[in-house]
Amino acid sequence: MAKWYQLQGAENDVVISTKVAIARNVKGYNFTVRLTDDEKYEIADKIDEILDGKLPGKFVSTPMVEVGRDLQISLAERNLVSPEFVSFSEGRTLVTTEDESLSIMVCEEDHLKIQSLLPGLELEKAYELADTLDTILDEDLQFSFDKKLGYLTQCPTNIGTAMRASVTLQLPALSMRGQIPRLANTVAKLGLILSGAYGEADNPIGSLFQLSNQVTLGISEQAAIENLKSISLSIVEQERAQRIELMNSLKFQDVLWRSYGTLKNARVISFGEFMESMAVVKVGVAAGEIAIKNERLNELIFTMQPATLNVEYGQSLDRQVRDAKRAEKIREVFE
Amino acid sequence: MLCQNCGNAEATTHIKRIVNGEASQIHLCYNCAEHLGYANMFSGFGFNISNMLANFFPEFTRALPSVDISERCPTCGTSFEEVVRSGMMGCADCYSVFYDKLKPSLSRIHGRATHVGKSGAFEVAPVESPKFEDTISKLKSDLQAAVDVQNFELAAKLRDEINALEGGTDNG
Ligand SMILES: [Zn+2]
Ligand SMILES: [Zn+2]
Repeated sequence: MAKWYQLQGAENDVVISTKVAIARNVKGYNFTVRLTDDEKYEIADKIDEILDGKLPGKFVSTPMVEVGRDLQISLAERNLVSPEFVSFSEGRTLVTTEDESLSIMVCEEDHLKIQSLLPGLELEKAYELADTLDTILDEDLQFSFDKKLGYLTQCPTNIGTAMRASVTLQLPALSMRGQIPRLANTVAKLGLILSGAYGEADNPIGSLFQLSNQVTLGISEQAAIENLKSISLSIVEQERAQRIELMNSLKFQDVLWRSYGTLKNARVISFGEFMESMAVVKVGVAAGEIAIKNERLNELIFTMQPATLNVEYGQSLDRQVRDAKRAEKIREVFE
Repeated sequence: MLCQNCGNAEATTHIKRIVNGEASQIHLCYNCAEHLGYANMFSGFGFNISNMLANFFPEFTRALPSVDISERCPTCGTSFEEVVRSGMMGCADCYSVFYDKLKPSLSRIHGRATHVGKSGAFEVAPVESPKFEDTISKLKSDLQAAVDVQNFELAAKLRDEINALEGGTDNG
């Protein structure tokens, strides 16, 4: 079955993916820091029981202790779990649908983190998926809620809606033109955070950024999502305008076609080099000069990562072997 | 441990991340974490934070004010000192047990806001009896509604009422 990141999404020339995560804690249990492993598994069992047959689409529940290291890291590479979630395995369970678009991290920071992941800009739909699952689970699990403080979370910064919505944006043109610090400042004033998705926070590889809501108390889910959506769309427009500008520069055209040549011809390529070249090629795709579908490029962001490649080949590959396999897969897309 | 970004201040934010197929961790001071956009997120796509005391309870890391930090939550046994040290609550009841002590930190993080949005099917024991703050939050939502329909005369009147009420108390 196809994973969510293999499908086409809205505005996918700039927006890679949308994620909505909702933190919840089950009434009658201490927060996660104060739970034994047995209690943590008890919560996971309760979730399994509730989900069994209640929703269309099958959920698979996997205790992290049964998952090998490469797969654990691959889950984090594909944004299905946080790096923190795989920093140790005991007591932790991942519940997910087959396409991985809807999932629950059990006993990460809070008892449940209900998450939905979709390709492109799909905030309303992603919220609806997570919200529906939350409502079903709340009926039986009874999540801790206070009228004034909202949903109660282990860390006091997340109370209220306890919802974090985020959009992953690829912004090569705005990055090249030095616009990111200005943008980060502007969105901060509007209650959002812009930060690097992979690598360094202010200079991430592949110009991949994550835009997310910061405020959880005093703003409804719908208002937070509406706010994030309208600012995302405005950034999408700015990026598109800058991409058109860039294409007027001979210097950039040279970089573009060299990057294209790298992806089309390389026999060995690291994930970092792939991401840098791919970000540049996106500008050529936007201009209609390179005929490759955005969804095929976006999918590679997830599938070309080191541990995810290891999982695909069923073994921990040597770096050089892996870099060769990666180059081979990328050439298939660029044929 | 010193901050890996500036090398000047004590690292208080510890971020786990995945680089080159391996898990690693970086350690940042409060200022660098905030500047780099890590200071106020729960684990989103790639990052997670261990919240150390300086991040959320800076008022308690200096001279501790005259609060009894040894008080414990009867439900989970967590002391307020442990809450401050870890930045984490022990259970849902900790919020009502430590509410007065938490108030300065909560309003620094969240302002004077109260919850709007989805309601849970069940409620824990409510934190304090917020008659006064209910009034203010009602006035605030009326104010927003007035602004939404561009009734600026009413909005100005409500704003004055809110200012008068908020100015009249000192609840952090
Ligand atoms: Zn620093
Ligand atoms: Zn407690």
